[in-house]
Parts: sequence; structure tokens; C-alpha cells
Amino acid sequence: MSTNRWLATGNYFTSYREEQRIFFTSLDRSAMCLLIVLMFAWPLLFEVSNKYMLVIDNILVAVIAVIGLNLVTGFAGLISIGHAAFVGIGAYTIASFATVLGDRHILITHGWPMLIVLSGFVGALFGALVGLPALRLKHLYLAIATLSFQMIFEWVVNFMDFFNQGQTIPIGRVFWLAGKVGRSDHYLFWYYVILVIIVLVGFGTRNLMRTRYGRCLVAVRDNDRAADAMGMHPGFTKVYAFGLAGFCAGLAGALHAYLYRGVGIDSFTLHHSINYLAMAIVGGLGTLHGSFWGPLAIKILDLQVERLSEWAGSHLTAATNLTTALRPLSFGLVIVLFLMFEPRGIANWWRIARSYVKLWPFRY
Amino acid sequence: MSYFFQLVVSGIVVGSIYALSALGFVLIYKSSRVLNIAHGQIIAAGAFITYAFTVWVGIPIYISFPISMVVTFFLAMSVERIFLRRLIGEPIISVIMVTIGLMSILDGLIYLTPFGTENFSFPPFLPTEPISLGGVSISWTQLVGVSITFLLIACFSWFFKKSTLGISMRAVSDDQLASMSIGISVPRVFGLAWAMAGLSAAAAGGIIGNITGLNFDTLHAFGIVVFPVVILGGLDSILGAVVAGIIMGLIQQFASGYLDGNWGLNGTGQVLPYIILLIILLFKPHGLFGIHEIERV
Repeated sequence: MSTNRWLATGNYFTSYREEQRIFFTSLDRSAMCLLIVLMFAWPLLFEVSNKYMLVIDNILVAVIAVIGLNLVTGFAGLISIGHAAFVGIGAYTIASFATVLGDRHILITHGWPMLIVLSGFVGALFGALVGLPALRLKHLYLAIATLSFQMIFEWVVNFMDFFNQGQTIPIGRVFWLAGKVGRSDHYLFWYYVILVIIVLVGFGTRNLMRTRYGRCLVAVRDNDRAADAMGMHPGFTKVYAFGLAGFCAGLAGALHAYLYRGVGIDSFTLHHSINYLAMAIVGGLGTLHGSFWGPLAIKILDLQVERLSEWAGSHLTAATNLTTALRPLSFGLVIVLFLMFEPRGIANWWRIARSYVKLWPFRY
Repeated sequence: MSYFFQLVVSGIVVGSIYALSALGFVLIYKSSRVLNIAHGQIIAAGAFITYAFTVWVGIPIYISFPISMVVTFFLAMSVERIFLRRLIGEPIISVIMVTIGLMSILDGLIYLTPFGTENFSFPPFLPTEPISLGGVSISWTQLVGVSITFLLIACFSWFFKKSTLGISMRAVSDDQLASMSIGISVPRVFGLAWAMAGLSAAAAGGIIGNITGLNFDTLHAFGIVVFPVVILGGLDSILGAVVAGIIMGLIQQFASGYLDGNWGLNGTGQVLPYIILLIILLFKPHGLFGIHEIERV
């Protein structure tokens, strides 16, 4: 076997151990290290305005949520139309602490790493609860269960005084070693926090897919009867997939709450659930790096749509609510077109490009 | 006591509309095993088309109502032809996600029209003073709406029981391979199922529009309440959709009639169906009349 996987013409693995490594070559490993170092270093080299930093933070928070959605929809094959509700569970965990203790309590300003992890676990708990029908049912019904969870979540937040009836609940500024994180470096600070969590979650997911628990998810997706015969429990596997998705969503929700320094129902509606689904589909279901492409592509599309409707709004007088019209229209079109013509998402373009380079100048 | 009967009457009115909405959903599920998430948008489209024909074009409503049903018939058929025909044979999960995308697209298209944000109401064409009977009142619109609903449901039942097309649709829902081998065109049956669903959705939309006025959020909500209804009735049973629709309407009216305002509760009618849905999924997942699939993995 060639030591350079990039030049190999086929699959030359001789043992399972070899196939399951995180990095296949030392080149891969150093490339990944370089990428991570660059991601940490670039804000120090360039001056980035808060406006763009917020966009980048937003994309990265969505990446964490989409990794979770990809675990349940991509790897385990269960449609979740309520992912924004799980993200909301994470955010409202923080918000309920802020309501009970006051938004400048020491637990919120100093104990935030603990609270973020706690939100993850609360999200996981709710995810597993919604996934419980999986013990008896197949995936069609689960899609409906998640949809109804989304509805129940929106109702609870909208009608309970404890959650300020969906209005914004403020959350105080946090403290770090150097003291209070001020207005000017708020977004930069959270960029680093989110990046650390993304690296942890990303490596966690990559490692999960190497273990029996991760392969169990894929086995149940591909053929649940065969998986049952092999000694896995398809029902529990599905519940646990929902739990994992809820965990990632909870983390994303907590980060969202701290990033915007407030929690309101507007960010966790059915509409956002469909956005997350669009991100997962566009990125490529069932791939880890697809979870990075999807949010990037959709958020850029979102910005362009906003710009387009602003431009059109200045030329047409009647088109006042063009943004509300074009946003769902473009997301829906993107979902449908990708499912019809490129069901494996952007991640597949990467694969195609790689095999093209590998085989050049020959082709299939 | 008359309050109770009033709630029963309005529950039956709302419930029969749920039944009609759920009917279209069940039709699609029965023939092609697709959960049509975009059903609420098709209902809304039907209602808006009826309004456009009645008010903007100026056709009397008893003619524009059937016209809009026919228009939506072809609309739903073309949706199936354009988006879903090429996905036959793909995994069912991607077909369902296409309907989620479709929901978004139809949302966007409706927001492009004035209907997305503004409220409209049909010009009254029936006597406006309600019929009163022993303290219970029902408006003429509601009475006519319920009668049309039951008439349509009866027509659909006849269609499935007796007509050749209906029997071939039942055959496809039972066994696609076997029905292909006796000369039924399965893609055509799928198209027809969508078209019939569009027809019933337009009827439901027109009736809701006449009773409650045209508001996109309300109409859309009718499309989502369909899920608790079909789960309670069993996903693939037309009788189940009718019975469960009426039960759901009654539950909603009783909840908002007796629970709201007490113990700080509000808007319970909107959320109770979904809570019931989750409970049914846990304990009786095939609903009241659904077929029990033996396979349980």
C-alpha cells in the first residue's frame, strides 16, 4: 500500500484497526492541526468588526446544532422536525437560571462553563423523552413526535409567565480570568469559546463513529431488522440518538443565549427547525464535515437573500415584506433541489473533486 | 347546561373541518406512504384561490367554490408530477424531507401574495343571524360548512368503495407490486391521490375561510393539527380520520371552554392535541382504527 492515501487508487486497508484511525496519514493529522491553529489565530492577525464576528459566531453555533441533527437524521436516519425546540431547551435552561437568580448572579457570570454543559444534559434529557416512542415505532411516527414537541415547546414558552411569555429574557455579561468581558471583545471571546466546544464536539463525534455505539446508529439506519438480529436494540439506539442530538442542541442553545445576551422565542420556532434541516441536507447527511459546509452555505444564502430583498425593496414600492417571502422560498428550493439532484450534499462535491484529482488524467 | 351544548356544537363544527383536512392527508399516506408535511399550505392555497375567484373575479361563491376545488386538484397533481414523481423508489425519508421543503416553498409563495400578511373575509352570502335552538346557536355558515363536509366525506367513501379508480387506489395501497401486475399504473395512482388530497384540502380551506375568515396563520395551524387527528385515528384509515377529527374538535372546544382562564392556563385548545399525540404514540401508536403492522423494530 502506498503510504500516501492521496495517491492510492483504491481501498488498501489490511485491518479494521487501520480503517478506524481518526487520521489516516500524518499529513492528514498535521493538516488538521494547522487548520485548528489557523482558526484560533486568524482573529488576532486581522481586525474584524463586531458585525462580521457575530455572523461567524452564528455560523459556528449552527454548526454545533447541525452536528447534533446530523447524528439523529444523518447517521441514525430519523427525521427531526423539532430541532430548534431542543436548541431552545438549552437556551431556556440558562434563561430560567437568570429568571430565578437574577441575570447578574455569580453562577451565570462566573459559572458559565458549568451551565453550558448542564444545558447540554437538559437538552439530552428532553431529546431522549421525545425519542421514547421509538421503543415501539418506526421513523415516520418519530417525525410527527418531534413536530408536536416543537408545538408544545412554543406553547409552553408563549403562555408561561415564568418564561416572560416569549419576550426576551436578559442574561448578564460573563467574567473570565482577565475580568469582565466587555462590549468590544464580547463576540471575539465567544468565538473562542464556541471554537473550543466545536473542536471537542467534532472530535467526540468522530470518535463516536469509531466505536460500537456509533456504528450501531448507522446499522440501525441501514437495516433495523439485521441490527436487531446482530444483538443491538434498535429502540434504545434511537432513543440514545435523540439524546445525543439533544445534547448538541442544548450546547448550541446555551451558547446562543450567552452570545446574544438574551433569550426569546423568536429564535426557536418551527421555521428555524426547517432551517437546521436545510443545513444538514445541504451539507450532506451522514457526514461530519457536511455539518460544517451546511450552516456556512445556508447562512451565506440567508445574507444574500436579505441583501437582494433590500435591493428589491428600494426599487419596488409594494414589496415591503419581501424578506419574509424570499427566505422560506429560497430555503425550500434549496432543500428540494438538493434532495432531487444532489441528495448527498456539498460533502459529496468534496468527494468528487478528490477522486477527480486522484485519477487525473484518467476518468470514469 | 346550554354552555355545554354550545361547546358540543362548535366542537362538531371544528371537528368536521379537521376530518375533511385529515382526509386529504390520509389519502396521500394510504396510497404512497408519504407524510405530506405541506398539507396545511395546500389548504391555505385552496382557501385563497376560492377568495380570489369570489371577490377579485366576482364569481358567485357556489360556482367559485367548485372551481377552486378543480384548480387545486390540478395544482396538487402538478406538485406531485414535478417534485415527487422522480423520487419514487428513493428512501421514504428523503421523500418526506422533500415535502418539508415544499412546505417552505409554498410558505414563500403565499407570502409573496397579499394573503401572507393581511386578513380577508368572505362577503356574507347566507343570512347572518344565527339559528337558535334551546339556547344553543349555530350560524348558517357553520351549518352549511358542516353539511358540505359530510357530503364530501360521503362522496369520498363511495368513491373508494365502489368506483374502479377508487378500488385501484386501494389496491395500490395494499400491495404495489401486485397491483402493477394486474395493470394498474402506480405513478398515476400516486398523482391521483395527491390530486384528490388537493381537492379535499381546497374544500376544507374554503369552508374554514368562510367560518373564521382568511388568515394564513390560522389556515396553516389547521394543517398542523391534522397530525394529532391522523395519529389518533390511525394513519391509514379514512373512518379513523373522520371520527378522530370530531373527537379532536370536541376536546379542543372543551379545553378552551373549561380550562382557559382557570389555574392561569391559556390557549390550552392549541396545545392539548399535541400532548394527546405524544401520549397516543407512547401507548397506542396505531391509533383507533389504524392497521397494526406486526413488524416492530
